[in-house]
Amino acid sequence: MLYIKDVGDSAIAIVLGNEIDEKINIKVRAIAKAIEENVRGVEVVSTYATIYVYYNPEKFTYSRILYEIKPYLDVKSISDKGRIVEIPVLYGGDFGPDIGFVASYNSLSVENVIKIHTSSLYRVYMLGFLPGFAYLGGLDPRIATPRLKTPRINVAAGSVGIAENQTGWYAIESPGGWQIIGRTPLKMFNINSSEPTAVLPGDLVKFRAIDEKEFQRIYQEEWKDAPY
Amino acid sequence: MPLIEILETRSLTTIQDLGRHGYRQYGVPVSGPMDDVSSRLANYLVGNDENAPLLEFAGVGPVIEFKDPILFSMGGWIRATLNGDPVESWSSHFAEPGDVLDVGTIRSGVYGYIAFSGGIKCAPILGSCSTYVRARFGRPLKGGDKLKINPTVQRFNEVSIPNELLPVPVSEPIRVLLGPDLKNFTEVGISTFLNSEYEVTKHSDRMGYRLRGPKIEHSERGSDILTDALPLGAVQVPANGNPIVMMADGPTTGGYPRIAVVASVDLPRIAQTPPGGKIRFRSIKIDEAQELFRRRERGMAALKKFLQGEIRAFRVNINGENLTIFLEDYE
Repeated sequence: MLYIKDVGDSAIAIVLGNEIDEKINIKVRAIAKAIEENVRGVEVVSTYATIYVYYNPEKFTYSRILYEIKPYLDVKSISDKGRIVEIPVLYGGDFGPDIGFVASYNSLSVENVIKIHTSSLYRVYMLGFLPGFAYLGGLDPRIATPRLKTPRINVAAGSVGIAENQTGWYAIESPGGWQIIGRTPLKMFNINSSEPTAVLPGDLVKFRAIDEKEFQRIYQEEWKDAPY
Repeated sequence: MPLIEILETRSLTTIQDLGRHGYRQYGVPVSGPMDDVSSRLANYLVGNDENAPLLEFAGVGPVIEFKDPILFSMGGWIRATLNGDPVESWSSHFAEPGDVLDVGTIRSGVYGYIAFSGGIKCAPILGSCSTYVRARFGRPLKGGDKLKINPTVQRFNEVSIPNELLPVPVSEPIRVLLGPDLKNFTEVGISTFLNSEYEVTKHSDRMGYRLRGPKIEHSERGSDILTDALPLGAVQVPANGNPIVMMADGPTTGGYPRIAVVASVDLPRIAQTPPGGKIRFRSIKIDEAQELFRRRERGMAALKKFLQGEIRAFRVNINGENLTIFLEDYE
């Protein structure tokens, strides 16, 4: 399916579906990339199943923008496997205060929670909500856990967590209600880079368990020139 | 380099330019001024281009000491004094070293702007000087902060915006484009939204304006959607039935159904409705929304040229209608 809708006077939505589906998202990424590469003066955002094209109504009328994007709706999905991005995580301890709860809620040991979390390959479906916040698909239902009853006022940048059937990280410090199971020493959001996030929609993510020593080593290297 | 010192701030006071474009796909909102008409006019008054960084405040303004001669202006309906004497907003004024500007309360509206000829000097983050507190792109200003102003070669005169051309608050309904999640609402719900009066609550800020009024009814599809994009001005309706309008610092995505998106041309009017103020909504189609926007932009471009001395303006009355005519000389 494919239909186009105006969303306000400065954006259109190219809708391919209404669910979390890898095939649909691959098609979304292909169309989004094609429009980005070929149409000047617009900003493209892809979500689970929709491509948004933001434009200036002084430069484009609604009919003009439809005309501009039309050639790219038919683009063949690239059979791209996407980059695999490995994210080192120090699980548990002070950096993962909720890992015990995730384990007991699911009747598992903490080691098994870590084993399960690190054995999946997750797809980045979209970024949003906060800078660098990634929506990952593919969390093993065995470790799905409801959000905190009372959100924390401050969750540290790099915190990795679980909420219902979602997993991901807080790229910047923020209030949050996710179950925090660990922390990554990587800068998940970097203002000094032209591509400010560590992952992009379409990437595949693998978490890798590391120890305290490796965390410090990577952290010193990543953050030596100040917070993002 | 010319310098000003913030002696005191009395509300959230931040540096803004026209926003951080191009990073929505990374989860970074555009930010920028809540009322881009007032901010641009403030900049035009001091000979700046519209994207020059300036100060935005909410409700009550800061106290500023000028350390050097600087041309400044204020955009908004503001009670202010310069060295104790009343000074007009919507006009530019020369300040001398030692002058103290006390930007007081906003008489009508919420957001006010203070512009300096040359623009505030800042180190852009991801291409923009707009403050986005959530991600620590810049920070709220406070007493003791010293700001450098970019030196300008050109010297501009003190000018004012003629009364007839000022953006006067009107109490017309806010125009919106319905959707994209209309299927999440019943006919009754949509009708409620378009025929009721909503009050801006005090839980309204740069991220979003929370409104209170007759509850908007969802259909069996319910009050959750698969997380999706939120354009500026999107009106979300969560389970409690009260609409929230996404504003400049609003998140780029969200999970509540979007009943409508505010027409770009009416965003400043929502921003300038204070807590306790009332809003009604009216549905229009995209062609009308875009034509209104373009018409406004033509007006802004003409006003900019007029203020910067490039064209002349005349008021005429044709068949009982008062019109402003801008005259441009052609070679």
